[in-house]
Amino acid sequence: MTDFSVRSDDVDVEQIMRQIRSRIREKRGVDYTEEEIRELANVKLEKFLDPRGVRSDLLEQFRRKREASLPPNFKFEDTTLFETHRGFLAFMRKLLKPILKLFFNPNPLIEALHIQSKLNAQQAALEPLYYEVIHNLVLETTRLGIDVKNLKMRVESMSSRLDFDERRARALEGVVQYRPGGVPPLQPPSSGTESREPRGTEAEQAERRNRRRRRRGRGRRPDEPRQGTGGAQGAGQGPDVESRGEPAESRGLTPGTADLEPRRDQTSNRDLSPVTRAEGVPSGGGFDSGNAGDRSES
Amino acid sequence: MKLAVVVQRYGADINGGAELHARYVAERLARHAEVEVVTTCARDYVTWRNERPAGIEHVNGIPVRRFPVRHERDPYQFGRRSRRVFDDTHSMADEIGWLDSEGPASPAMIDYLHREARNLDFILLFSYRYYHAWHGARRVPAKAVLVPTAERDPAIGLAIFGPTFRGVRGIMYNSHEERAMIHAAAHNEDVPGIVVGVGSEVPSRTDAARFRRKYNIRGPFAIYVGRIDENKGCKELFDFFQRYAATFPRGLDLALIGSAIMPVPQHPRIHHLGFLPDEDKYDGLAASDLLIMPSYYESLSMVALEAWAIGRPVLANGRCDVLKGQCIRSAAGLYYERYEEFAETLYSLESNGPLHDRLGRNGRDYFATNYAWPVIERKYLDMFEGLKREDASGAARKPIERLPGWFARRRRDLPPATEVLAGIPSRAVVTGREPSGDLSQSA
Repeated sequence: MTDFSVRSDDVDVEQIMRQIRSRIREKRGVDYTEEEIRELANVKLEKFLDPRGVRSDLLEQFRRKREASLPPNFKFEDTTLFETHRGFLAFMRKLLKPILKLFFNPNPLIEALHIQSKLNAQQAALEPLYYEVIHNLVLETTRLGIDVKNLKMRVESMSSRLDFDERRARALEGVVQYRPGGVPPLQPPSSGTESREPRGTEAEQAERRNRRRRRRGRGRRPDEPRQGTGGAQGAGQGPDVESRGEPAESRGLTPGTADLEPRRDQTSNRDLSPVTRAEGVPSGGGFDSGNAGDRSES
Repeated sequence: MKLAVVVQRYGADINGGAELHARYVAERLARHAEVEVVTTCARDYVTWRNERPAGIEHVNGIPVRRFPVRHERDPYQFGRRSRRVFDDTHSMADEIGWLDSEGPASPAMIDYLHREARNLDFILLFSYRYYHAWHGARRVPAKAVLVPTAERDPAIGLAIFGPTFRGVRGIMYNSHEERAMIHAAAHNEDVPGIVVGVGSEVPSRTDAARFRRKYNIRGPFAIYVGRIDENKGCKELFDFFQRYAATFPRGLDLALIGSAIMPVPQHPRIHHLGFLPDEDKYDGLAASDLLIMPSYYESLSMVALEAWAIGRPVLANGRCDVLKGQCIRSAAGLYYERYEEFAETLYSLESNGPLHDRLGRNGRDYFATNYAWPVIERKYLDMFEGLKREDASGAARKPIERLPGWFARRRRDLPPATEVLAGIPSRAVVTGREPSGDLSQSA
């Protein structure tokens, strides 16, 4: 939200409003006034009606039609036919009415016109509503179109930022050391990080491996079977980047875990024996820390 | 000096904008001149039914002379005639017929003004669009001073009002925007006019804590004072505020003062307090953080002036030229046209203490400089003095334009009033601070 600092005694309201509007523009991407939305709505309307060459000037057409086709309505009562403001004429008509009725019966005519008058009034009341509905629909559609456009822009912006973040993450992963024989993850396009990060001598690497094995050994419970598969967390359960790319046993993948991670087995050429897989070695063994995933699986 | 104040309705219990305006002005001018109010027996502005006795009574010490209305308003006929003059090509006779339908038609009142004109110095005619103002201005143009209280509605586009605006002695405008609109519609720049507005009886002391205790409102809140009506922009206000409340769950509440003629949403942060006495209203304004004015059409918002008098900023609907112009000129309020602006401006006023304080102080200064009663009274008296000097100098005056002949009046060649209105520029007048009083021709 906007935050203004009021430094001097003179407050320029227009300046504040300009700041607010520019802030809104920054947030929304595109800032349209009501008039602009209306203009766009007209364009949209043209699009909706234009495909087969239909007129698009709805408002003008509506007004013209209304003017041309709607003579003023009036109430039609049973006395309407005989009404006059001239007293003498009214008297004469009243006098001659029975004679008129000898020639024809005006009642059905009067009744029909009365109904027609009511229908006209109903129709006249409905027409503005129809127009309003159509007009509002077009307006809302335009507004939604603009919103969709803005959202698209935001999605594009976010996807480009996501892309950038992914590349950055890969670049960071690239600086991690990998064991010889392990499968390194995909490298960022501008790789060469391996060469930038010295991996140390062979002796140092062997020492590190030994230290890690000792640590795992300390964590193992006495009743656990010692298998070739050392204990480590289930694959992919944490950002243990040091273990990435190692063979299965060194990464501590148990068979059970391996079953959960078929893609890893295939890609890293695990040496899980078929026996182990067939027997289904009870999970939970061979870990130096609780592996909830494995336990739950058993 | 002897003055007549002519208005469509009058009474201590009548709170309509122009009527209240007229009462305030009459009561204030009574301190400087002999004032008589001339009005109708009507109380209801829809029917104009004669509900009060004809004759003289006193309201707050001011003599009020009432005349009966000849006929009540027929809504069907008035609606039909309104459509004709506003939406269709029509004749001047149609417009005069429309004026008669609108009412309150009281020929006896006009006859009285004509008879008494020689004993009066000036006749203040309130609300240009009603029967009494149009006929009064035509019968006694030499004494007529008009207070148009004009809003941006189609009536301003009717041809019959042009001669009125051009023919009266002087015009007391409510705002710069109103003056610009009338100049554009009637080309009456040569008629002496001044932007005056109206003052308000704002108490010198208010008790915000009493209001909070009485109505059990604890947190900060924005306030709306007035009729709760869709025409006043309340529907949009409710919509915007509910969206704002959803975005800012710990933000301020909204208190509503006034009678509701539309449903008020059931929302934990919207408090409808109903119609309150003036004391509570002013205490409420003092307790609030700001006043919201959502109305699209105003010739002058007295509530906004009262909020400024108490030192509260105003958040106004920017589509109302008058309110927008006043916010800019006073530097005491912000305005919005869309929800995004509403949210940003409300949040700014809610969260930015220095801005809020500065706008509040500006409002107080603005009211004191332009709308305090001594200023208003002085502007009226200066106008009367100026007109008297003009009379004394013997300068020739143009008589009010005559109505066209019988056939010309019935020629259907006048454009729809809505079209005329559309051609009148609409914008806030931003010319710096309000002038303290320019009796000379308005620019």
